[in-house]
Amino acid sequence: MKKLFAFLIKYSVVILFLFLEVISFSMVVKNNGFQQSVFFSSGNTILASLYSVSNSVIEYFYLKSTNEGLASENTALKNQLVQLQNQLETLKPQSPDSANIKISPDKEISFVQAKVINNSTNKLLNYITLNKGKRDGIQPDMGVVNEDGVVGIVSNVSEKFSVVIPLINPKIQINSKFIRNNYSGPIHWEGYNYRYVNLNDIARHVVFSLGDTIVTSGYSKSFPEGILVGTVDDFKISESDAYYHIKVKLGVNFRTLTHVKVINYLNYQEQQNLENTMQE
Amino acid sequence: MILLLQNIVRFVLLVLVQVFVLNNIRLLGYINPYIYILFIFVLPVRFSRATTLILAFLLGLIIDAFSNTPGMHTFATVLVAFLRNPVINIFTTIEEGANPEPSFYTFGVITFIKYIITLVLIHHTAFFFLEIFTFVGIGQTFLRIFLNTLITSVILLGINSFKKK
Repeated sequence: MKKLFAFLIKYSVVILFLFLEVISFSMVVKNNGFQQSVFFSSGNTILASLYSVSNSVIEYFYLKSTNEGLASENTALKNQLVQLQNQLETLKPQSPDSANIKISPDKEISFVQAKVINNSTNKLLNYITLNKGKRDGIQPDMGVVNEDGVVGIVSNVSEKFSVVIPLINPKIQINSKFIRNNYSGPIHWEGYNYRYVNLNDIARHVVFSLGDTIVTSGYSKSFPEGILVGTVDDFKISESDAYYHIKVKLGVNFRTLTHVKVINYLNYQEQQNLENTMQE
Repeated sequence: MILLLQNIVRFVLLVLVQVFVLNNIRLLGYINPYIYILFIFVLPVRFSRATTLILAFLLGLIIDAFSNTPGMHTFATVLVAFLRNPVINIFTTIEEGANPEPSFYTFGVITFIKYIITLVLIHHTAFFFLEIFTFVGIGQTFLRIFLNTLITSVILLGINSFKKK
C-alpha cells in the first residue's frame, strides 16, 4: 500500500497528464459527430454574446460587398417578377370581347443592374454616370430607377459607361400621373432643391390632396406604368390660374444614390418604328 | 504577486487576440496561427508541473469553446505543457536554484528559438492531426503543420523580442 502511494506521488504529474489527455481526447471523439455539446461551444450564451459583439464590429467591413450582393440579387428577383407578371397576364382568362385581347409580349421589360460612379445634385444641369454601357445592353432613352422610384433617362452611352439625365435636370420632363385618378402631367425641375420637382398641367377641376402618390404614366418608351416618382408636398392655385402649381417630393434621394436599375424595354424599336411611320 | 498578475493579463490577452483576431485569419487557406500557447511557453521554468497541466487544460478548453473544436486545442496544449520541461532539460542547463521565465535573455537566442519551434511543432502536429482526424491526404496535413509552425513561431519570437530584460 505504501509503495502504491509512493508510486502515485512520484508519477502524479504523468498520471494527471494522462488523465487530462484522456478527457480531451474523449471530447474529440465524442463530439466529432454532429451533436456537439452546447456548453463547450460557441452556442454557449456567454460566448455567443461575446461573438455577437465582435461580429457587430466586423460586419461593417463587409457592408460594401453585402450591399452589392443584395443589389444584384434584387435585380435578378425584379427580372423574375416582371417575367412572371407577364406570364400571368397572358394566362388570365380573356373575355371574348376583342377589345380586351392582349397581345402580350413574351417579356416586356428587363432590368440591368448598374452602379452610380459619378453624380451631382448641386448644379442646374445635373448628370449621373453609370458603370454599365453598350456592351451591357444599355441604349439611349432607357429609363433608370432604383428601389425608391424614378431616377432618370439614359442619354449617352459609350462602350462601358452611360450618362443619365436625372429628374433633377430641367432638360427632361417625365410624364407622371396621380395614382388615385390617373390625371397626368409632366414633371419638371426648377433647379433649386434636389428633393423637389414640379408637376405641371394638372387642371383646376382635378381632385387630389397632400401626400397623394405620383407615379409614371407609361406614356413613354422609357418607363412602364406605375413606378413611383414622389408624393405631393404642397400645391397652390390662384383665382386666375387654370392649372395647379404642384410641388412634388421625390421618392429618390439623389444625394445618396448608389445602385440603380436600367429598364430595358424590349419592344422599344417596334414601337418607335410604328410611331415614326405615323408621323411621316 | 506581480508574476501572477502578469500571467493573468497575459492569459486573457492571448485568448482575446487568438479568438477575435487570429481565428479569423485564413491566409492561403492554410495559415491560421495559434499564438495562445505562448502562455504555457513562458511560465517560469520551475513552475509546478501539475498546475501547468491544469492551466493548459483550461486554456485549451476556452480556445476550443470559442472555435468549436471540442478537445482538440485542449489535447495539444496539455501535450506541450507536459513536454515543456523535458524540452527545456534537453536544450538548456538551468542551475538548480534558478527559476527564470524562458526568453531570449535567459535561454540565449538560439536555444530559445529551438525551444519555441520544437514546442510549436509538437502542438501543431497534435492539433492538425486531431482536427483532420485521418491519415488520408497526409501530405496536405504536413504542409499545413509546416506552414503554421513557421508562422506561429515567427509571431511568438517576434512578441518575445519586444520583451525587455
